[in-house]
Amino acid sequence: MNIYDIIFYLFAGITIISGFLVVSVKNIVHAAFYLLFTLFGIAGLYVLLGADFIAIVQIMVYVGGILILILFGVMLTNKIVDVEIKSESFQVIPAIIFIGILMGGLVFLMVTTNWENNELIIPLTTTKILGNIILTDYILIFELLGILLLIALIGAATIARKDKV
Amino acid sequence: MELVNIFEGLTYLKPEITLGIGLLLIVLLDLFINKNKNVLHFISLAIILITGYFVLEQSDVSKAFLPISTQTDRNFGMLTLDAFGIYFKILVLLGSILLVFFSITSAEVKSVNNRLGEYYALILGMLLGMMLMISASDLIMVYLSIELVSLSSYVLAGFTKLRSRSSEAALKYLLYGGTASGIMLFGISLLFGITGNTNLYEIHKVLISAQVNSLTFSTAIVMIFTGMAYKISAAPFHFWTPDVYEGAPISITAYLSVASKAAGFALLIRFVKTVFVMFSEQNGDWNLIPIFDWQTFIIVISILTMTLGNFTALWQNNLKRLLAYSSIAHAGYLLLGLTVLSDKGILAILIYFTFYLIMNLGAFYIVMLIADKTGTEDITKLKGLGHSSPFLGTALTIFLISLVGLPPTAGFIGKFYIFVSLLDSKMILVAVIALLNTVVSLYYYIKVLKYIYLVKGDKIETIPINYSNYIVIITLLIPTILFGIYFTPIVNLANKCVLLLNNL
Repeated sequence: MNIYDIIFYLFAGITIISGFLVVSVKNIVHAAFYLLFTLFGIAGLYVLLGADFIAIVQIMVYVGGILILILFGVMLTNKIVDVEIKSESFQVIPAIIFIGILMGGLVFLMVTTNWENNELIIPLTTTKILGNIILTDYILIFELLGILLLIALIGAATIARKDKV
Repeated sequence: MELVNIFEGLTYLKPEITLGIGLLLIVLLDLFINKNKNVLHFISLAIILITGYFVLEQSDVSKAFLPISTQTDRNFGMLTLDAFGIYFKILVLLGSILLVFFSITSAEVKSVNNRLGEYYALILGMLLGMMLMISASDLIMVYLSIELVSLSSYVLAGFTKLRSRSSEAALKYLLYGGTASGIMLFGISLLFGITGNTNLYEIHKVLISAQVNSLTFSTAIVMIFTGMAYKISAAPFHFWTPDVYEGAPISITAYLSVASKAAGFALLIRFVKTVFVMFSEQNGDWNLIPIFDWQTFIIVISILTMTLGNFTALWQNNLKRLLAYSSIAHAGYLLLGLTVLSDKGILAILIYFTFYLIMNLGAFYIVMLIADKTGTEDITKLKGLGHSSPFLGTALTIFLISLVGLPPTAGFIGKFYIFVSLLDSKMILVAVIALLNTVVSLYYYIKVLKYIYLVKGDKIETIPINYSNYIVIITLLIPTILFGIYFTPIVNLANKCVLLLNNL
């Protein structure tokens, strides 16, 4: 076990434990805070994989942006709506059994499969390469993502706006 | 350099670019048109027609374009153009044109007339997603196009949000859809882990040359199938269908039941044929890479789908729910065409889908007219319809008979081709089960006819119909009857379009 492995397990542990807490704690504000650690742990994993740009984006967009929005959303709507915002769990035992089987199966697959291995030299910085690929090979995907986000925006506006009856 | 590929790709992307520009145009025009929003109907119609023109223009092209990279030998594209894709694109565009006509007359759409711009922006986005789904030959493209279709349809399902049923439909659709695409994405990641590629042609090459772990591979395939099965509402991923179909505005329900299903089928067929088929024999039978038993898998799914669909439909009293379950059952019949794993089966699917599009839209249109007047889709509202509005009653009868698959309607020809392809491949037992299913389906369609003709209503309501309604119904009615008698043109056309581009 070298230093790389230790760091990996550390980040993986943070991600999994806080991910579990997100879905199991009752108080939704606490859940949002645990989500912070989950997203942070994933950013750490990205760094370990050599994807520095994606790691930074993960921190900036998810931790810095989306999560703050979620927290604001939770705290601001808490008082407006009469309903107490709490997350509860139903059917715990069947869910544990089902997820246990699923997890066992997936872990078995992960361990036994011959994964395709590409010897990659991790570049010093990935930003330039990413930019090149996005604007050449994946240009169509990139443009399509733009339209997808536009549709999401229009959809969100449609749902959120007040209708005059 | 790569830029050459991009410029070359642009010439093949004309329909998609038209739709993209059209979408932006609608969003912009929506800002300026305040008084008469109805003009947006016709602008959207024009955009769809121009797109259709560009699609037809490509009818003799057959190639994959926009390659991932030119530096290596991986010269396979994100999208594939072939006759098969163009056939499905035309089907989807036809459905969209009819949707515009539906929307012009629908009372539900009229009630949200001030948001018509958003309505059409979302529909064009969905159409763009479906066009890309039909021609996608890269897993990233597959996933993104499915997401584009799903996102637009979630919002459209809840578009008339004043009704709580509509919001419920949208939320359910979102939850099911999110789960299904999550599972699909996980499957894609597994497949990428095994083969090291996202391009379907490349994956095919890897599967031929290298040994892959078959258990992991099957898991990945089943997971990817989940995402597609959810789009075509095949069991056991059909639970969202009745609720969403019931809650969504009828025009959108009709559109979901044909167009997004067509795109799902095109994607599924392209996936199976591109990744798994090594070569086709002279008589059209496929030789598959023996790594995943598609035949057994699809037989189980399709029998489950049509049996569940048909038997649950027996208890439905809401016309939209009834048509929802009937559309699930039809997805089962259509999947049967894939089980034979031959070009004949694909031919049967193409023919069946063409007729299914016409008759299903017809049935939904009449249900829409009735629901607009009476305010509910309850089956008892049909009482005495055959006497009060003979034209509507007769038309609905013909569409329903066609949905059962009785001669002399188009539905019969569609079912006939499916059964012939089954018998050709000696799958007698499956054909018998499908036939028994058709008999079961007869019961609930006849139940509707009973209300139309035999049960007298206490007060007879006339459904007012104007000329545009007449025109829409008649344009759907004529092919339903005509193709039941003279179906050679469709069969010839489908025969030309049955070949997919594979094995570059």
